[in-house]
Amino acid sequence: MNWDQLQLKPRIISAVQRAHLKSFREVLVSSEPDLQKMTGLSRPDVQELLHAAASACRTRQPITALQLQRGECRRLESGLRLGTGCPVLDQLLRGGLPAGGVTELAGASGAGKTQLGLQLCLSVQYPVEHGGLSAGALYICTEDPFPIRRLQQLISEQPSLRSDVPPSLIGRLRFSDNIYLEHAADLDSLQVCLSRRAALLLAQGRVRLVVVDSVAALFRSEFQPGDWLERNKQLLTVSSMVHHLSHEFTTPVLCINQVTDVFHQPESSSSSPSSSVSPALGLAWANQVTVRLMLRRLQATVSRGDQSSALRRLEVVFAPHLAQSSRDVAVWREGLRGVLDPVLDPVLAPFGPDVAQQKMVLPLRLGSV
Amino acid sequence: MFQRSEKNLWRFLVPIGVLCSDSATRFATRLSLNSTQPSVKSHLLEPDFFFFLLTWRSAGSTHSEAGVSQQEALEALQAASSGHGVAAVTALELLQKEEEFRSIVTFCSQLDEALGGGVPVGKVTEICGAPGVGKTQLCLQLAVDVQVPAVFGGLGGQVLFVDTEGGFQVQRLVDLAGAAVRHCSLLAEDEEQRVAMTTFTVETILSNVFLVRCRDYVELLAELHLLPDFLPDRPRLRLLVIDSVAFPFLHLHDDLSQRTRLLQGLGLRLIAAATDHNIAVVTTNHMTTRLRGSQAQLVPALGDLWGHAPSIRLLLRWEESRRLASIVKSPGHMDATVQYQITCQGFRDADQSEQPQSKRPRTQTDQSASSRENTRT
Repeated sequence: MNWDQLQLKPRIISAVQRAHLKSFREVLVSSEPDLQKMTGLSRPDVQELLHAAASACRTRQPITALQLQRGECRRLESGLRLGTGCPVLDQLLRGGLPAGGVTELAGASGAGKTQLGLQLCLSVQYPVEHGGLSAGALYICTEDPFPIRRLQQLISEQPSLRSDVPPSLIGRLRFSDNIYLEHAADLDSLQVCLSRRAALLLAQGRVRLVVVDSVAALFRSEFQPGDWLERNKQLLTVSSMVHHLSHEFTTPVLCINQVTDVFHQPESSSSSPSSSVSPALGLAWANQVTVRLMLRRLQATVSRGDQSSALRRLEVVFAPHLAQSSRDVAVWREGLRGVLDPVLDPVLAPFGPDVAQQKMVLPLRLGSV
Repeated sequence: MFQRSEKNLWRFLVPIGVLCSDSATRFATRLSLNSTQPSVKSHLLEPDFFFFLLTWRSAGSTHSEAGVSQQEALEALQAASSGHGVAAVTALELLQKEEEFRSIVTFCSQLDEALGGGVPVGKVTEICGAPGVGKTQLCLQLAVDVQVPAVFGGLGGQVLFVDTEGGFQVQRLVDLAGAAVRHCSLLAEDEEQRVAMTTFTVETILSNVFLVRCRDYVELLAELHLLPDFLPDRPRLRLLVIDSVAFPFLHLHDDLSQRTRLLQGLGLRLIAAATDHNIAVVTTNHMTTRLRGSQAQLVPALGDLWGHAPSIRLLLRWEESRRLASIVKSPGHMDATVQYQITCQGFRDADQSEQPQSKRPRTQTDQSASSRENTRT
């Protein structure tokens, strides 16, 4: 640590070196009396030292929200969103997944979480004007093997999903070349993967999306019920790693989570009012995510031509910039698409989409989507 | 000047009196300027001497250890006890000063009433709650409300927003700012208010919000160390938001004693910033489960020691489909619970008239419950 780069008096620098303080961080996490004891400096000198260390630690000056909105500071919050490929879902998410935070997608098995993860791995490769981030994706599987056949099917059906993009552009993109697969069988390998492989790929600019499918699997299998303290620590470690990646490289991170049953108590003050399942891993994990989405399977089905699909609902449980709302979603050959009934919606659109959903009847006939 | 044993005593005094030390040094300086004896003057400028005097006052044995004659010591003690050069503030003056400071409204009138006007300036307020209940929304709302011009009853101030979680989204701030501008322009009646509206636009609101993003607790500590430099350059700054304090410190789970020490120092620094610079400090905290016997309770995170730092604590929680805000700790207000809602315009009163519609008929396919007036059209 080169203390000379700080503008400090020589006696302070020599005292610091005598005390074997190795970095600015070490200086900052010690309290003033501790520093005085360690270095033998007087109070004003210690304050000067702390001030210099703090200035060195601060990565950037405060900027105004106006500058942020105008995009004058790309690093802090670009306002970029990763589109999902379906305009209905993009409208629900006000553009898509935020590029600077951790998004959680929870749902029961068979709800379609992996499908959405795959769809995002493809949509990230489009250029920014088409809702992508012009880079690949890193997909970390922790339980099931990667559904490679489904990915190939999605790739071949991209032109029908993305009718807004010129086919020549779609043809030019080498989708499968830009999706990096990793398998993490336990927590240690997940941490290694995130800290080394993911960081390297992100730094090289080859990927701009990290999908962890799923977070819950590792935590639920490795810990006994009594080990919750250790489990929480590991949760926090993984969370701090993904947050660090997300903010360092302005990358959306999608963590897929499972659900657990809850028994309703008379006053459930800890969770938002919803049905009898809630995302797994508890409050400790819930505090760490920026955006929480839930995907639920409904009883209804929709049909379109020769395909039929069970209806799902994608719900925004909480997000700093989104209202609590939901959209119905169907899974087709080409991917997930939001479902809006064109007969009812033009009439009821002013009243909000949830009124339209109340009137949903089964089965639903789709017009043009 | 001191022997070894006295130095240890002084070391013991410092952590307790860390806040007093600045004022004590000022006091000592002022005292020394008024004193006649030059030797007493130079002695008093040493802060150690001042503390030492205070503890050994009753023992009457100061002079021999401190290297000062009995006469000089008595003189110094007399000057200290007469409060020479130090203005004592009466409670009435404090009350008048407090009434001058306005509070920052939250736009939820029930909550403002319960708080006696809003979030008070000069104090540290903490907002706790489960994820998704609206803590960041309230912080963003306060960041807009602090800028309401004085003619409308606001403070016309600026805000420093320290974001540790990544929850600050400019899109949302723009929504809230637009709603506040519309609200105030509907209220503008006389010429003065209309003139004020020309400087109260979405753009000016955005330009008065200073954003700092801290990635871990060290960066947060660094930011707060640099606060005394940042504040004097911005005399209009009236609000400091830290969203959230819990997030970076919860990641420091290896060394809990260090965490407690750092939080203590942080709390003191925030209180000092609030009182010295007349700003409202708002911090956000998470909830954590605490096991008491066989009962699991939801309590604010970061421990009991951190609970002493804020003077006011607001707890936001869900009850069925309603959002409730409770004042759980406040020296000046009664514990109260009010209902609020988060609309696309921001933090608002719960609309009493719309309540019957909030319970949507549950059909077989429809299982999710809460998107009433929260829905975006």
